[in-house]
Amino acid sequence: MGFFKRRTIIVILVLFFLAIQLFSIYQKDKSGDNPLSRFVMTLTYYPQKVVFVSTKKVVDTWHGYMDLVQTKEENQRLREELNTLRQERFQLSEAQVQNKRLKKLLDFKESTYYPVVSANVIGASPSILRSQVVIVDKGSGDEITEGMPVASYDGIVGRILLTADKNSEVLLITDPVSAVDAYVHRTRARGIVKGTGNGCVMQYIEKKSDVSIGDKVISSGKDGFFPKGVIIGTVTDIEADGSFISASISPHVDLNSLEEVVIILKNEDRVVLNE
Amino acid sequence: MNKSISIILFVLISIIFITLQSTLLSPRNVGYVFPDLNLILIVFLAVYSEVRGSFLIATGNGYMMDVLSGNLPGTFTISRLSAYLLVRTSSNHVYLKKWLIQGLVIFLATIFSWTFITAIFKIKQDTHFTLTLSEIMTQAVVNTIVGVPLFWVIVRLHAKLQK
Repeated sequence: MGFFKRRTIIVILVLFFLAIQLFSIYQKDKSGDNPLSRFVMTLTYYPQKVVFVSTKKVVDTWHGYMDLVQTKEENQRLREELNTLRQERFQLSEAQVQNKRLKKLLDFKESTYYPVVSANVIGASPSILRSQVVIVDKGSGDEITEGMPVASYDGIVGRILLTADKNSEVLLITDPVSAVDAYVHRTRARGIVKGTGNGCVMQYIEKKSDVSIGDKVISSGKDGFFPKGVIIGTVTDIEADGSFISASISPHVDLNSLEEVVIILKNEDRVVLNE
Repeated sequence: MNKSISIILFVLISIIFITLQSTLLSPRNVGYVFPDLNLILIVFLAVYSEVRGSFLIATGNGYMMDVLSGNLPGTFTISRLSAYLLVRTSSNHVYLKKWLIQGLVIFLATIFSWTFITAIFKIKQDTHFTLTLSEIMTQAVVNTIVGVPLFWVIVRLHAKLQK
């Protein structure tokens, strides 16, 4: 260690240039799949799972108590909701039959459904540098591979960044590195939804396109990662961006209180060309 | 025997700290005002460099940050290793064992570590990762407030196990 004490500044400068080189490699090849990374992920899996299970127990007990207090009122509300849903179900079954008939008439291709694996969010990035990363309790042992899309029942969440045997890292759509090819649901105006750190922005929308505040944005499926037609968010603001339009998007999923997600088992082999 | 206990203790503390920082004390849960326990431990290992295997434990801690922060290879490992080396250079000075100086060292090490990382991004012209000066200063203050009592606890724990 005597060497470092005499030449600390030189050593730090050498390390600095080494860090720049490593970062260049990262920019070219973002797949950081190596045994050491997987070992770190596995090493932290069990302590993270213990924290997750114990905090969940405390939260569940508290919620259980609160639920008990409101049971009577909720019971009444749910009965009313059930009646409404029964009516809606009847109308939907009618619409489904009609939909099937019309699809057959138009020779319409059925959309592809992928198998999914549900997972719990057990951790998140420990750094402010890249806080839009979460850790889920499913990994390569559950057939999960890097790049697979992650969603919740409310819409797109992100995609798998790194996998270990029992857990995986998910890059959220709000991360500045994330990009999703998307459509405006109402007008089919196309653009790229990028993360901004605390939200999303849809860029490269043609200037002549019809986009309004409140429009829903869905995935186009053209990026090869996300399936077509999954909701991303709602347009909250629009502004001119050179020869394009840029729209601020509020994600449909509340990414700050994410607890459960579904990983769509979709890899390049399963990509359908018409998506 | 004492050497093995010391290494096991600091490996365990490393895992506990990184677990806390990626769960209950994660920036996603507590926002920017969160203590960087990982960096505090690295500064501790540099100040008390007589701890066996401290260099390797510090490197391992940096690497764990790299992997869990969206797999940024080398960014945290190297920046935190540099902070470790810089603090360790002065670790022979007796005044580093005083709590006021330790607080100052944690504060400066936090600023150094983030300046190191920000400089890499500036040179590589990567605009994906941005940190403001106020965010860095906030983290430095929080690390100082949490770090000094944590140093006291770890020193006592280490001394108890060495007996």
